[in-house]
Amino acid sequence: MTDFFFLPGWPLAMPQLFWLGVLLLAATALGELLDRWLRLPRILGYVIAGALLGPEVTGLLTEGAVQGLGPFLDVAMGIVLFELGSRVDLRWLRRNPWLLLTSVLESALAFGAVYAILAVVGTKPLVAAAAATIAVATSPAVVLAVSKEMRAQGQVTERLQLLTALNSVYSFVAFAMLFAWLHLEARGSIGLVAMHPLYLVLGSIALAAVAAVVLLAALERLGPRGDVQTISALGVVVVAVAVAMALKLSVVMTLLGMGILTRALDRNRRFLAVSFGYVGQLFIMMLFALTGAALRLDLAATALAAGLGIAAARALGKAVPVLALAKPSGLSYRKASLVSVGLLPMSGVAVVMAHEAASIWPSFGPQLGAVVLAAVLILELLGPLAVQFALRRAGDAADAE
Amino acid sequence: MEPLVESGNAPPTAADTAGETLEFKQSAPLSMGVELELQLVETRGCDLTRAASDLIELVERRPHPGEVKPEITESMIEVATGVHHRYDALAAELAAIRDALGAAAERLNVLVCGGGAHPFQHWPERQIYDRPRFRHLSDLYGYLAKQFTVFGQHIHIGCPHGDDALYLVHALARYVPHFVAFAASSPYSQGTDTQFESARLNAVSAFPLSGRAPFVLRWSEFNEYFAKMRRLGIVESMKDFYWDIRPKPEFGTVEIRVCDTPLTAERAGAIAAYAQTIARYLLIERPVQLTEDLLLTYSYNRFQSCRFAFDGDFIDPVSQKHSSLRDEIAATMERLEPHARELETEEPLAALAAVARENASDARWMRSRYQLTGSLHDLVWQQCRRWRGEV
Repeated sequence: MTDFFFLPGWPLAMPQLFWLGVLLLAATALGELLDRWLRLPRILGYVIAGALLGPEVTGLLTEGAVQGLGPFLDVAMGIVLFELGSRVDLRWLRRNPWLLLTSVLESALAFGAVYAILAVVGTKPLVAAAAATIAVATSPAVVLAVSKEMRAQGQVTERLQLLTALNSVYSFVAFAMLFAWLHLEARGSIGLVAMHPLYLVLGSIALAAVAAVVLLAALERLGPRGDVQTISALGVVVVAVAVAMALKLSVVMTLLGMGILTRALDRNRRFLAVSFGYVGQLFIMMLFALTGAALRLDLAATALAAGLGIAAARALGKAVPVLALAKPSGLSYRKASLVSVGLLPMSGVAVVMAHEAASIWPSFGPQLGAVVLAAVLILELLGPLAVQFALRRAGDAADAE
Repeated sequence: MEPLVESGNAPPTAADTAGETLEFKQSAPLSMGVELELQLVETRGCDLTRAASDLIELVERRPHPGEVKPEITESMIEVATGVHHRYDALAAELAAIRDALGAAAERLNVLVCGGGAHPFQHWPERQIYDRPRFRHLSDLYGYLAKQFTVFGQHIHIGCPHGDDALYLVHALARYVPHFVAFAASSPYSQGTDTQFESARLNAVSAFPLSGRAPFVLRWSEFNEYFAKMRRLGIVESMKDFYWDIRPKPEFGTVEIRVCDTPLTAERAGAIAAYAQTIARYLLIERPVQLTEDLLLTYSYNRFQSCRFAFDGDFIDPVSQKHSSLRDEIAATMERLEPHARELETEEPLAALAAVARENASDARWMRSRYQLTGSLHDLVWQQCRRWRGEV
């Protein structure tokens, strides 16, 4: 033992916590830079900061560290999904059924377009279907983060959020069905085939309902103070995420469902004043920074052209019904085209789905995984720009002037 | 408000050739029309939302009663009735406009409500409606333009001649507290209870050209005043005056602008009927000789009404006696009886008399609703239901 035992050793063994702080600072700084100089979405800055610090570029944040921060990512995703879900007004679909039709068709056509393109290049049907299912979802995180950042309000914002939440739900349910199909090919037990998607879908919905009821009861008892409401909502969200994971249910489905049901069951409008404010902001930042850190640039680069093809087919599939049903659903063509631009960002959830598919069915494997990842990468970087463009052009954004 | 222009057949005057004068168009005496500025709120948190242009686009797709127009922000929409001579026709049109607007709003998932101010909106969030005049106002008035996200009812009363209009402008001044109290529906502003029944008028008062019209009684004198103000570069058109009551020469009307937008179309119609009946009383009986002294009590009475509505103190400018506004209204109702019979406005006037007697102002209703839940968000939700006639 030296005399200077109280001094740290050299080189310093910085805990990963240090790099987390650096990540937050870098993300904020880059976000502000993009916003002020280029008027680009801040979340793009978060993604880039994450990528720069992450294992792919500088490696300051090791792969282990990124994985260690996993729980933050789960909570952040949970908050985003819950908040987006709570922006879905099911009664609106009843009053304006054209919207429901738009939603079903834009998902179906996006699926069809991506499936067709993959089928043409000779992908196996099941694998093509898995990729197409992933492509149905619009990124809830990008849509919510950009519309919050721009303090956007209006028809384009509202419809974008509604369609995004719904296509995420469809995508998830369809993916659960595909699981069953995959199992059928792999193992061939009918009982198993029926049970798994049923467990996933019904279990997630049941958990969502319980969480929504608990949250509303808590809000009822805790009174209308804003901060109290926010923190209790946050608490229930975190618990719901944890329970969903423990029960091997879908976090996406559970949290989206919890948001939708909280809104639908809120007869006394206790939930009106809840907003996640700065806390939500922090989690959104971490979500995008960590997504950036996890981006597999090398893999994606190998399949860039194919990824572009998928992205284009998907965009077309989504745009056609949105435009075709614009008038009956009560929107101008101009704004409807902006809605379809806003639907472009592909979901980071897709990455998770692709991994899951690959783990269950190896032949989904590296090649198609790469194509999906490429599409995600393209739309992860271009997606925020698309949403920002749409909201600004629609006059929904607070900085539209 | 184009439909209010009944005819443009007033003979041109010598002053017309000067190019700087206002011609007072003739309109049918005692005809009336109503404009209402309505709030557009979203269904999630009941905050004001940007929806005016989409809503207008949707409403304009098919023929609809009345007129629907953009206002200074995207979260406000203005509806206007045509010209009416009878209260029941006016009330029917107001109800039809409300229903047409409601149907369109439902498709966009937007809520519509009355009320003079949004209880908790934060004005920095407001989006200025993209039109040059609005942009100009926003540049000129800065935060006032956004704080001016308040919602009023304007009542037009037709006049055959500019001199009659000016008589009405000044004679109606005494009744301004009545209108304020009947329509008062802005007790909350920026998230707090203002203690006022109508806080909206405080926002209006901040503008340099608010207040009263100058005390001139002949249209030619008014034209001189207007020409001076224009030469000084203070105003360009009558639109620049934000007076409580102003002549509207292009329509041939007198416009009463002190009312908050009531919580229901029914109350809006009744207040218009009250204005029409008072106008008939004033123009036919000519009960007072107008002097500038009659206006000494104006600001005091107006403030009392904004703050306390029917409980406010009222100084009779003629007898100089104090009474409550409630008693003043009751006495006025008696004087109006023969005119109400003539115009068939007895029913709405009886309803308003009951409102004054029972202190049933919209502002009071809002406070009692807020007390039930302690949530301003919920209050707005209830306002929207009240506008639809559900509570």
